[in-house]
Amino acid sequence: MVLLENDTFLTELTKMFQKGKSSGSLSLTMKRYDGRTKPEPRKGNLPEPQEYKCLIRANLGNKKISTVINQKDVNKFQMAYANVLKGNMDGLKKKDKRSATKSKSKATQ
Amino acid sequence: MTYLTSWEEFAKAAERLYLNDPQKCRFVTKYRHCDGKLNVKVTDDHVCLQYRTEHAQDVKKLEKLTNQLMRHMASKEKS
Repeated sequence: MVLLENDTFLTELTKMFQKGKSSGSLSLTMKRYDGRTKPEPRKGNLPEPQEYKCLIRANLGNKKISTVINQKDVNKFQMAYANVLKGNMDGLKKKDKRSATKSKSKATQ
Repeated sequence: MTYLTSWEEFAKAAERLYLNDPQKCRFVTKYRHCDGKLNVKVTDDHVCLQYRTEHAQDVKKLEKLTNQLMRHMASKEKS
């Protein structure tokens, strides 16, 4: 798992999308991250974290990358991230009349 | 392994599941270009909600939900 800066992550993610065009699935996992880098001590309570962050992992086959988004960068990252997703998830069906009869469309093919 | 059929229901349930235990919950998007399929999953290892689609118009809705959850995750509040 390689931890990257936000911008580098997006560049690498774009590359992964391109690599995954021919085969494979690209997974993106998003979860809350409290910034902890050491294991939780068995005794004693940890102080409440000052601020929560968001951890994003991407993986395609055996390649894995990740990034941590700080609260102040959320707005900036969201826009760039959405652009990468929208630009690369282009293998889906466009809106058409068949979507209403989706279940039957396979039989007619 | 519950697949929900309506996005609106999925989005609502996903947010509820996240708010129930923010520290445990993860949100996974899986995209297969060669099959033209998109899978979205939210789980806290007890409950697992999924939604799958083949339609391009769902990407926009996904973007909205992703933004919403990301804003929840990276914040000062506990939930």
